[in-house]
Amino acid sequence: MTAADIEGRAALNDDAELRTGGSGSRSIWNVLERWRYRFVPDRLIGEILTKRWIDSAIPFTVLVVVLGVIAWLLPSMFQPSSLVIAARQLGEFGLVCLAMMVVVIAGGIDLSVSSNFALGNFLALYLLNLGGWPVWATIPAVVAACGLVGLFNGILIGYLRLRAFLTTLVTLIIVRALVDILLLKYAQAMSTGFVDDAFWDLLGLGNVAGLPTSFVVMLVVFAIAHILFSRSGPGWRAMAIGGSRKSSHNIGINVPRTVCVTYVISGMLCGLAGLLYASRLGGAGTDTGVGLEISVLTAVVLGGISLGGGRGTVAKVLIGAIVVLMLTNSVIQLGLNAGSGSMVLGLTLIFAVFVDVKWMKHRDKLLNKVYMSPALVEMPRPASTDRNSGSPYALNDKLNGVDIIGLGQVEGPEDVLFDNDDNLYCGNRQGDIIRFRPPLYDKAEHFAHIGGHTLGMALDKDENILVCVGGMGLYKVSRAGEVSKVTDETNRARFSIIDDSRLRLADDLDIAPDGRVFFSEATIRYEMHTWPMDALESRGNGRIIGWDPKTGKTRTVLRGLVFPNGICIEPGGQSLLFAESWACRVSRYWFDGPNEGKVEVLIRDLPGYPDNINRSSDGNYWIALLGMRSPALDVALRMPGFRRRMARRLAPDEWLYPNLNTGCVIKMSPEGRTLEALWDQKAKNHPMITSMREHKGYLYLGGISNNRIGRYKIPGADAQWSGFQSYWGKAHG
Amino acid sequence: MANVFTLAADRFLGRGEASVAIPPMDGALKPNSAVDKAEHLLAIARPDNLLRAGNSVLFSSGRKLLAVSGNWSRPEPVVECEAEILATASGPDGSIAVFDEVRGLSLLDISKRSMVRRNIARLPFASVTAATFRDADTLLVCIGSTRNSVTEWQRDLLDSEVAGSVWSVDLRTSEAKPIAQDLSYPAGCIVLADGKSALVSESWKNRLVLLDLDQKKAPVPVLTALPGYPGRLSPRARGGAWLSLFAPRNQLVEFVRRERTYRRAMMAEVPKEFWVAPALSSGASFSEPMQGGALIQMGILKPWAPTRSYGLVVALDDHHSPVASFHSRTGGSRHGLTSTVEYGSGLVVASKGGDEIISIALSDGG
Repeated sequence: MTAADIEGRAALNDDAELRTGGSGSRSIWNVLERWRYRFVPDRLIGEILTKRWIDSAIPFTVLVVVLGVIAWLLPSMFQPSSLVIAARQLGEFGLVCLAMMVVVIAGGIDLSVSSNFALGNFLALYLLNLGGWPVWATIPAVVAACGLVGLFNGILIGYLRLRAFLTTLVTLIIVRALVDILLLKYAQAMSTGFVDDAFWDLLGLGNVAGLPTSFVVMLVVFAIAHILFSRSGPGWRAMAIGGSRKSSHNIGINVPRTVCVTYVISGMLCGLAGLLYASRLGGAGTDTGVGLEISVLTAVVLGGISLGGGRGTVAKVLIGAIVVLMLTNSVIQLGLNAGSGSMVLGLTLIFAVFVDVKWMKHRDKLLNKVYMSPALVEMPRPASTDRNSGSPYALNDKLNGVDIIGLGQVEGPEDVLFDNDDNLYCGNRQGDIIRFRPPLYDKAEHFAHIGGHTLGMALDKDENILVCVGGMGLYKVSRAGEVSKVTDETNRARFSIIDDSRLRLADDLDIAPDGRVFFSEATIRYEMHTWPMDALESRGNGRIIGWDPKTGKTRTVLRGLVFPNGICIEPGGQSLLFAESWACRVSRYWFDGPNEGKVEVLIRDLPGYPDNINRSSDGNYWIALLGMRSPALDVALRMPGFRRRMARRLAPDEWLYPNLNTGCVIKMSPEGRTLEALWDQKAKNHPMITSMREHKGYLYLGGISNNRIGRYKIPGADAQWSGFQSYWGKAHG
Repeated sequence: MANVFTLAADRFLGRGEASVAIPPMDGALKPNSAVDKAEHLLAIARPDNLLRAGNSVLFSSGRKLLAVSGNWSRPEPVVECEAEILATASGPDGSIAVFDEVRGLSLLDISKRSMVRRNIARLPFASVTAATFRDADTLLVCIGSTRNSVTEWQRDLLDSEVAGSVWSVDLRTSEAKPIAQDLSYPAGCIVLADGKSALVSESWKNRLVLLDLDQKKAPVPVLTALPGYPGRLSPRARGGAWLSLFAPRNQLVEFVRRERTYRRAMMAEVPKEFWVAPALSSGASFSEPMQGGALIQMGILKPWAPTRSYGLVVALDDHHSPVASFHSRTGGSRHGLTSTVEYGSGLVVASKGGDEIISIALSDGG
């Protein structure tokens, strides 16, 4: 069951729309506009921008552009033979970039990667050629030795708190000097040596599963690093240190040790890269790795890793490494002058950094402006509320004299509930359930604390309170006040970009005779506090969800509803009534029986926005209208462009809102006929109404922006009737 | 340097000409509740056009002109016109000019309670917003807009019309000649002490301009960026003038002024009292447009919430700078202050939106 069926029904009502004057309402332009707003899903742009992987968008675009330019200038670069060599180079280069990234993410920098790399290369060849060591011993030894260099860096920077830049610069110079000295001594001897080992050859020149070995090694290491940084404690701690060293220290992270470990890992990765380089080229020169730190730094920054630390992913490093490698190789292939390679790299770096900085700075602003995508809504003409019109909604003063309960003692009681002992319960915006005891209902008692904003409530057959908590989900409070979670997630829609398995705004619920709970989630695109944006959108962002106590499973039963709010199970036990606030209509949904799955609209021209629905004692239903429609907003609902520009240019305080300052209560028959309306016309005593509950001859009113509960004596109502009886039969005991 | 491209870019980004920012109420215009706390004098429908005539105060209520000589509980009817009284002015020799929508200019003899109609050719009297005597024989008349009558001022504002003018009427010859044209709804005028220039409120541009009555120079703006729409001006004993602003500026209204499609549809389909436009009073019906900040939380309507109506009277000194102001903020009942006159030790203010005449005590604030 999708919104299309419901929208289809609403569209059939076009003949009831009011159009006085104005230009030709059925013009082709109009039809095109409606199609554009119904079928072009521009909300997807905003939803994609909310995803975490969108940060890699800019570096990815740079990669595509660079590869495209290279493919155009040098098609030979993409021949298999060139690609294989590039892949092997990428294996080593990528590992060194990862080494740099590990350190940068934790807030430091490691300039010594290039000389560490050269050291690794030298040591591997020395041990294999001159030392005669076997390969299986050489590999760990080289990695450990370079790790020791990293440890040297780590102790100075992590424990002795020296500056990373200067320290690693010094290490760079020292290790480079060390390598030069060693080369001077051993280069000639090494060049005569020869390593004859199948594994060594596999490492440098062979393939694994069709791909070059060093490339595969790099991919494996990258995968491990990705899991480490995105899904493990140590990785998160390193990122936290990069984000704020002081705060990390304050929350108990061992900062010196973690920083030292990142330098050790960096050293080890450089050693591994040096090993791979040695296995591929088999030679050590004085220029091995010279200037590598600049290329590596470029790759890391190009990929979008912030040099300040705390932010970045492994995928970005890979993108940056590929771009830098391809650029350097293509410059050589093009036969440009010696300095051109660095020039090209430098220019690309500046461009990428500029774009990335601007993106990071403006991404949230862009998201705010682009996320809201209003829909084109043509509201039917509202039923009249004029005093003398004879309409059932006519204004009156019936609620002018309501009694007030708990004035100033509760803040935001969206719904009220009664148990079998006549205790009155309500929610509040601090996330509590407040109880008032009979007969005076004068003192607010704290009954339970849940969190969020406690909204719709219902009593199950064991007299536990089930409550929808805005921002959290569906919770249960036992008679003794113990809180337990019923459910806070549902099945994710197959094609939804937004992760709608979480519940953002569970609003109202009701319980079927067999214990199944049906509750509404008002919107999946916005949070509890940004409901005004959903009002401006007026799009089918909400759904009705069902929870089955027998299986414990939660499933979405109806999607694409426009801010579904009140839910009320009908006495037959096979259908429920639900309200769609911004669409100003009340509908019936069959969840059982021969009509299962069918949706039928009962009232489509309400003059206000319906909220909660509850049973009345005479077989009808009470519906709260939390606000009234205003003609200026109804015109704006036909113009999504106007609403979008308004949301962008004006502060939220200045937007045109649905008028929630005045509400009323209506009584509706099961056939969908409105019987009467109760107003507080001066909006002085009980201005804002979101819910009403009939209990023993009185109607109790709650309002989400209000600080009181109202009590109205219903003339001629059954003074023994209670909701619990109506649902579960005779009261206990 | 404005060109087609920068204008288009401005419209897309919402800056420059398309910006909807409004100046804050600060300094001498800092909000207070002086108007809400002022003394209540009389409750009457749509009071306006306060005037000093000797020892009494004259004011209009719809078509009637009434006078009060000290006892505000007993206003005496003076004369009843054929249509709504648009503007009044009192001359140095005691003559009183009354403009009404149908007959135009009439001169009132207060002792005999009789009116003599004066037919002034060319003067579009259905749109008279204010009038003042320059000398015993010359009347300065402000015409708000030739495109919309006075009752359609909201339409004139939303369409940002520049169709107003100031005329000089010679009472000896019954001739009128325009002395300034293409003004954006002039709604108040006062002749300065030197008799050679007049201060005129240009409402839709939120400013006061200095008009050279001998027409040697173009009008010069002297007080700009007002946070409301300036209306009538009346003389102030300590020098300068009292300026009443009849409606506040509102970001949403500024936005709607720049949105043609929505504006046209709204003006065609929605009743006038429910437009997104400033008004003399608001809050009577839930069909009026509501803005986010005006949502009542825990029973409280914030005084700084966006509103379509406001009460604001500003004291200007000789250099046309505000020195004090009296406000009725959001949620107050005394909005739409259209006219003021000094009487006794206080300032009598007509609240056309609140159907009330009040008096603000002037100690050192005035």
